[in-house]
Amino acid sequence: MKILVALKRVADPANHNKVKIPAAGDKIDTAGLEWQINPFDLYALETALRLTEDGKAPKTRLGEVVAVTLGPAETETNLRSALATGADRAIRVDTTDDALDGRLVAAALQKLVEEEKPDLVLMGKQVVDGENNYVGQALAELLDWPMATFAATIKEEAGGLLVGREVDGGVSTLRVKFPAVVTVDLRIVAPDSVRSSKTAEGFKYPYEEVRFAPLPAIMQAKKKPLAVKKLADLVGGATLSSKYVKFEAPPARKAGVKVKDVQELVQKLATEAKAI
Amino acid sequence: MIEWGEQHLAIRDAFRRFVDAEIKPRREELEHGDTPPYEVLRKMFVTFGLRDMSLMRYEADLAKADKAADGSDEKVGKANPMAGEMAAMQMIPIIELSRHSPGMVTALGVSAGLTAGTIMSRGTRAQKERWAKDLLTLDTIGAWAITEPGSGSDAFGQMKASARRVEGGYVLNGNKTFITNGPWADTIVFICKLDEGNDPKDRKVLSFVLEKGMKGLDQTKPFRKMGMHSSPTGELFLSDVFVEKDRLLGETEEVSYRTGAKDTFKSERTGVVAMALGIVQQCLDLSVEYAKTRVQFGRPIGDFQLIQLKLAKMEVARMNIQNLVFRIIELAGAGKAMTLAEASACKLYCAQTATEVALEAVQLFGGNGYTAEYPVEQLARDAKVLQIYGGTDEIQISQIARSLLG
Repeated sequence: MKILVALKRVADPANHNKVKIPAAGDKIDTAGLEWQINPFDLYALETALRLTEDGKAPKTRLGEVVAVTLGPAETETNLRSALATGADRAIRVDTTDDALDGRLVAAALQKLVEEEKPDLVLMGKQVVDGENNYVGQALAELLDWPMATFAATIKEEAGGLLVGREVDGGVSTLRVKFPAVVTVDLRIVAPDSVRSSKTAEGFKYPYEEVRFAPLPAIMQAKKKPLAVKKLADLVGGATLSSKYVKFEAPPARKAGVKVKDVQELVQKLATEAKAI
Repeated sequence: MIEWGEQHLAIRDAFRRFVDAEIKPRREELEHGDTPPYEVLRKMFVTFGLRDMSLMRYEADLAKADKAADGSDEKVGKANPMAGEMAAMQMIPIIELSRHSPGMVTALGVSAGLTAGTIMSRGTRAQKERWAKDLLTLDTIGAWAITEPGSGSDAFGQMKASARRVEGGYVLNGNKTFITNGPWADTIVFICKLDEGNDPKDRKVLSFVLEKGMKGLDQTKPFRKMGMHSSPTGELFLSDVFVEKDRLLGETEEVSYRTGAKDTFKSERTGVVAMALGIVQQCLDLSVEYAKTRVQFGRPIGDFQLIQLKLAKMEVARMNIQNLVFRIIELAGAGKAMTLAEASACKLYCAQTATEVALEAVQLFGGNGYTAEYPVEQLARDAKVLQIYGGTDEIQISQIARSLLG
């Protein structure tokens, strides 16, 4: 199976307090931020690796995983991290975040898919910065491929996948035929959430997260192929169809007050906060 | 080398993720519960491919020793960038572990470094296969026993542990103390003097390999120590332990205990440099965060110049120690090594500085820093032993002076 995994870098959620918005409010100042791959996209990468190995011998690849990102040269660090984790090769589409919207990303991925001809495109259900939950669905539409979103389990069958999705009050199961687009949710990395046609009966992964890259793989990631393409070569002259107009930081929290006793508390809740 | 490269940072981030997932949640049991650190260390070895790498290095070392025996040994001292990367790959995990649990580094270093290394440099091929291989992969845990109740820095002058020749082998006796991994060790390198009825001063120093459960060998419970609680330390008592000759390292009484000793001391001392960097960096990071958020007299305490001075001095220390780490990596890549006196100077500076910085961090945290709730308290207790083990500050000073004065 050949799988294309789309990854996006995001500002490290642990350092979100470093995000600054200039007075003009027309953009986000990204200077000094630490970057990492969107967690849901990492789950997609782990899913792709599980679908292309038998679990017992992770060094033996039984398919191909191509990691793709759109961004400036620094994002190659994130791609090499994906290569160290186990992806076989990588493609970077050279551009900058402010030159992109979900539609352009989907259009660029469509062209890459047409060139690469994967059986499956995997990505996170959404990116934890913009939270748009857009690209997977848009890509499936552009390709006219079957789609399953928010996958919590995946089981490979002849010619397609059985995808479990957690919905309110239960689980719905979809059967999608290859080629397909699947976006994954958190639980896809549980020990037995993903079963390829080669996964040994009863095998469970001993972890429920994205696998660690072994040190030798980190050192050798530079030797794996990493191609660079220009955004214009993929999407021609297409331009942004939606534009961020304004950014605002959440209002600063006011300092609290100390109350003497319950009586005062109740009184303030009633008269000042009007909460009761 | 002037800064960490992309791959180094990737390794660092991977270890941070591992520490967050595996060590931080177990801090209480590892630091205060006498839970041995070995399971976590084994998991770390498997997760990062360190176990496979150790096996590869073991095979390469065996092959190299075979070549050396043939007289066809390759030239040493050649530049080898890969050796620099190997050094970096060893130091980054030490730095990251030391931010949270320097004791785990100690337990690991004594087992897979000191004990395995001694067998690899002095043992026969059969002995390496029998004991060193499993130590290098952490399948077994090792201890290295030299110190005695009456002999510390003057290890050989006062050494009472003895071996007597008997029919078919030797009988060993003696008490050893401050033995890292002693309570749990599967494999123990026991250093003693050969008693031939001669003056103790003239006796040969021999090393034997012992195993847990041997008749006459007692391994005590872990000591209560000031720090390094995640590194179990104990005593060993030997009373008439009989060993066959195949447990004598090198299987000859003529092998000098100095063989490999210099390399051992050097790697121990450069290991302390990486540990010190981890401790100092962690104390600095925690202190900066605290200085920004702790408010007194209506302002974050970082606004006060006395606090700023502490932070600035910590940063100077961090830069100095990091530069020493870079130098060690660079030397390894160039096929060069520090002299023993240089390694002593590095160890002396780093051990003293780590202790000073950690105590200053406690001071900066005030009453909070004195409680076990805040990790600077543990780091301050842990740092102190860097000035004591692996050769005390005083021993390092005398070795530096000896090299200067000739």
